[in-house]
Amino acid sequence: MSGRARARARGRAPGPGATEVGRPSAAPSVMKYEILWDSLRILGEDGISSGDAGCTFIERGGKIRRDVMDLDICTREKLAHVRDCKRGSSGVPVKLVTNLFSLDLPQNWQLYQYHVAYVPELESRRLRIALLYSHAEFSNKAKAFDGTILFLSQKLEDKVTELSSETSKGETVKMTITLIMELPASSPICIQVLNIIFKKIFKKLAMYQIGRNFYKPSEPVEIPQHKLSLWPGFAISVSQFESRLQFTADVSYKVLRNETVLEFMTGICQQTGMSCFAQMCEKQLLGLIVLTRYNNKTYRIDDIDWSVKPTHTFQKQDGTEITYVDYYKQQYDITLSDLNQPVLVSLLKSKRNDNTEARMAHLIPELCFITGLTRQATTDFQLMKVVAEKTRLSPLGRQQCLARLADDIQRNKYARFELETWGLHFGCQMSLTGRVLPSEKILMQDHVCQPVSAAEWSKDMRNCKILSARPLNKWLIICSNRDKNVAEDFLHCLRRAGSSMGFNVDYPKNIKVQENPAAFLSALQKHVDPDVQLVMCILPSNQKSYYDSIKKYLNSFCPVPSQCALTRTLNKQQMMMSIATRIAMQMACKLGGELWAVEIPLKSLMVVGIDVCKDDFSKDMVVVGFVASINPRITRWFSRCILQRTTTDVADCLKVFMTGALNKWYKHNHGLPARIVVYRDGVGDGQLKTLIEYEVPQLLSSVTEASSNTSPKLSVIVVRKKCTPRFFTETDRSVQNPPLGTVVDSEATRPEWYDFYLISRAACRGTVSPTHYNVIYDDNGLKPDHMQRLTFKLCHLYYNWPGLISIPAPCQYAHKLTFLVAQSIHKEPSLELSNSLFYL
Amino acid sequence: MGENKECSSMVDNCEEVPTKEVIEFRPPLYKQRYFFVKNLVQQHKPKKVADLGFGDATLIWMLKYHHCIEHLVGVDTYAGSTSQWEISNLSPSVGDYLVPRDLDLTITLYRGSAVQKDSRLVGFDLMTCIELIEHLDSEDLAKFPEVVFGYYSPRIIIISTPNSEFNPLFPASTFRHLDHKFEWNRIQFQTWASDVANLYDYSVEFTGVGSPPAGAEHVGYCTQIGVFQKNEAKATESCISTPEEHVYETVFTTAYPSLQEKKNLLLVLSAEVLRASNSMRLRFIVDPKKKKVNGRLVPEDSCVPRYGLIVTDAQRAQIESSPKPYCVGKKFYVPLERLITFPKVNRLVDSVERLRSLLSEALKLNRDQSALQVDLHDHYSRTMLSY
Repeated sequence: MSGRARARARGRAPGPGATEVGRPSAAPSVMKYEILWDSLRILGEDGISSGDAGCTFIERGGKIRRDVMDLDICTREKLAHVRDCKRGSSGVPVKLVTNLFSLDLPQNWQLYQYHVAYVPELESRRLRIALLYSHAEFSNKAKAFDGTILFLSQKLEDKVTELSSETSKGETVKMTITLIMELPASSPICIQVLNIIFKKIFKKLAMYQIGRNFYKPSEPVEIPQHKLSLWPGFAISVSQFESRLQFTADVSYKVLRNETVLEFMTGICQQTGMSCFAQMCEKQLLGLIVLTRYNNKTYRIDDIDWSVKPTHTFQKQDGTEITYVDYYKQQYDITLSDLNQPVLVSLLKSKRNDNTEARMAHLIPELCFITGLTRQATTDFQLMKVVAEKTRLSPLGRQQCLARLADDIQRNKYARFELETWGLHFGCQMSLTGRVLPSEKILMQDHVCQPVSAAEWSKDMRNCKILSARPLNKWLIICSNRDKNVAEDFLHCLRRAGSSMGFNVDYPKNIKVQENPAAFLSALQKHVDPDVQLVMCILPSNQKSYYDSIKKYLNSFCPVPSQCALTRTLNKQQMMMSIATRIAMQMACKLGGELWAVEIPLKSLMVVGIDVCKDDFSKDMVVVGFVASINPRITRWFSRCILQRTTTDVADCLKVFMTGALNKWYKHNHGLPARIVVYRDGVGDGQLKTLIEYEVPQLLSSVTEASSNTSPKLSVIVVRKKCTPRFFTETDRSVQNPPLGTVVDSEATRPEWYDFYLISRAACRGTVSPTHYNVIYDDNGLKPDHMQRLTFKLCHLYYNWPGLISIPAPCQYAHKLTFLVAQSIHKEPSLELSNSLFYL
Repeated sequence: MGENKECSSMVDNCEEVPTKEVIEFRPPLYKQRYFFVKNLVQQHKPKKVADLGFGDATLIWMLKYHHCIEHLVGVDTYAGSTSQWEISNLSPSVGDYLVPRDLDLTITLYRGSAVQKDSRLVGFDLMTCIELIEHLDSEDLAKFPEVVFGYYSPRIIIISTPNSEFNPLFPASTFRHLDHKFEWNRIQFQTWASDVANLYDYSVEFTGVGSPPAGAEHVGYCTQIGVFQKNEAKATESCISTPEEHVYETVFTTAYPSLQEKKNLLLVLSAEVLRASNSMRLRFIVDPKKKKVNGRLVPEDSCVPRYGLIVTDAQRAQIESSPKPYCVGKKFYVPLERLITFPKVNRLVDSVERLRSLLSEALKLNRDQSALQVDLHDHYSRTMLSY
């Protein structure tokens, strides 16, 4: 295995077009729609009420749910071959339990949207709401009202209702309530209102809302050694699934840091001393999001002002001067203990988008909590292990949490009342039937193996020859003086492992250097020439600078495939042979070799994976990775990668990449592929529209320009690893993960999409999460069954892991590529490497 | 530029009684009234505080930060239609869970009037009626003293009301708010207040906020305030016999996590103890001078953290003279007797016995339970520390 710990990319780039609401649009109908969304936003933020005698309700941070926006995009209706049926047929049926709960509504249930006008006009929203609610007509009705738009589940007698009320000042106010629209339960607006109702119910269950999720602060899991608190909770949503409305709940944990910025800074000071204290603080803290203890707000640390102390004064808004110490004492009864701490500076985003100077907030480190896990923390294996242990839930454990939640909702008096007045019935957990796809055979050079378990087949292919490999003749091993013996032992094993798989490894030139990154780099500069096929570096520590400098040099300045491994890894005597086997495979791939294949019935098919990820260096850059197969067997890959500003559309580079891939294909196969299937990963909520409007046309134009007569047929599939549905199999009173290859293409899918779920990753502990596939464009017209099976086959082809993975191999390759660039290189890798899997 | 921005934006959300004041008060008058109350709270440290006529609950929100308060109650006739903002700003936030208060705090909002009796408001330390009485009609105003002074009978009562002598300085000659039933001059208010104080055995002092502009000093403060203190001669116990009478409707209630709860205490204590031991551990690792005593590796120096420890010289001396931490194999031990000398630990537990019994539930102690045991090396010291 590569010495580099396989860290996971943390965030997905929201990318361009994430906020579709803000996009100017000429079409008046769209404009109207946006106004309505805006009203829902206000409703979500400020208050919604139901029959309980006019008690209104606030919600913080209520934003338009971007995933709901995606649901509004109907792609299926354009795909004639799946309009009637998008279900596959092969495989063995399997009964599955889900984390979806049916929400039953009476037949013909509708939501009625009214507009309320006041004469004389009232400015205060609170007063407008109070006046309307004071009317007997509304006192026992389910309602949601933001001061202008009113939603009712029961229709008023008249289309226009006139009411009048008297304010406490004795003023008479006339209210005109006009029916605007009748909304069926499946309409996005109605679903948004239902989501707001459920949020309200969850607050009544003593749950605390953070972002979109609800947590129980009363039952925290504490990890004091790592200063962490985990709050158990749920990610919830109401949405329209295939045939009905469903309520989804997925167990989620909120990781809270029990550490203030001041404590963090003290820690840095203790570890590094005073000499480079300020520099280290800035390196580790800038860009972090902190939470203030007193007012529950989050800020980004943009700077640290070392010249300002808590004893200094600042000007309050009313113009008076006060010291920070006195201010916090007076305002929050907090006594600052460290009077020498600096202040953190955060630039506040202007609410209005004008050019006024950005406002700054000064924050006291002692009063700010760090949120999320720092990079330091995520590389701490022990910490991550503890977190994983505490948060991992077996399917049974997860099922118990769900059952308890359903019970809580059904028992809570308020929740029941709320649901009843709206006419909702909270039903039982939904079961459905999925299919387990037939297992795949792994094709080696002179052997076809049927793995015992598709999760991992390294044992099954022991002593089998890989499909093709170029001999490794001229190569280097660079290691520190201390690791001479390790290198020799390893080389011995590597050659043995290589020869048993048909990969010929000659003796390398061995270079011993000092134990520091600079020494490694200068050895590279001195010894690497264009004839060198591969450089192997044995790293004495997992300090990032070793890896980064080596990769940067060998991927862009002097393009030669490279292999890094940690001394620590190579020191594990008992595992030496299996480690050497893995590394031999990676090396073979990096030289352009092919390891194994699966049967692909389509004869001229190119598959493409696209992923997008944020650059680790500068947050306003994203890395777009593109990987395409260049032979019909799907064993050889071409890759491109680009860094671009977040503000640029991802699409811009796709046409160039696609054309490059087609040229490559043409060169190798003397023709164009008949079909192209693109798997697009790294898509954020609300981006579906951009994908359809910008990316698909780019890909299409490249494809049509490639040939004057018959151009290749294109399909585009959005891959999402994070999706809310979960599936379990029930076996005599226990609950388990479904078998590998389980496909779900009914009931938990969306009516407006051509989509399915596939479980292609094994989870030995914990609950497996299915991957969601949404076919947004499909000229190929493959049967759904074939599309599902092709996708499953592609999950077998990731050469860094002899087993199934959760997403199709091209996506994983693209992910690996973008991750390498975003974390280490921060530059486009050299085109000379584009024909090999150099990024493995 | 100050950090106080979010504080003022918070206030923007609440609708301040609209006034057409040309005279601008800095800070705004309503803030001056609330800060007057806050200062009094700082001074008298009341445990139970009620705000009659809490309006938009801004004062309740401002008072919830005071550590001394354990019960905070608001009563308002319009509660219910006003409880939007309250739920998020009066409920405990993430910070309140991460740094639990020393003492419990419950906040309750009732719908009800200051002229109705509810036994749950008897026995308070402080009651505030900020800009309340001028909204009462003559009938209610007559009932008001009997309920608040006679029945509730808190230790301190703060009553504020507009001073009508100030009104000519405003352009409009009417009342400051449409709903005001009256606005008194200083004599009227002080006469009423003194009579009430006499009747219910309180002493009263008069003051105010909103100083008049230069040249108009004779009109007095814009808001006049009476601070009533119960004459302590009377036994406060008498209220115990009050029969239960629940008239007010609870519209909101919430309880804050505090160190009174054992699990919170354990959590905070563990965090402080680990922080202290961590700083000594790093000192120990970096310090080259160690000697072996009875199988233990003991540092030669006092092993007191060099940075981040905010202590007086006496406290530092106490830490230095306490038993030193030591190391056996890959484990690092900090004697409990040393841990308890750290002020932040000492604040939470007063004896080594208590420290031992609490820590044994949450962290690992050595065999004879005299010291905390942690790993000598962690991820950080292994990968990042420069020796």
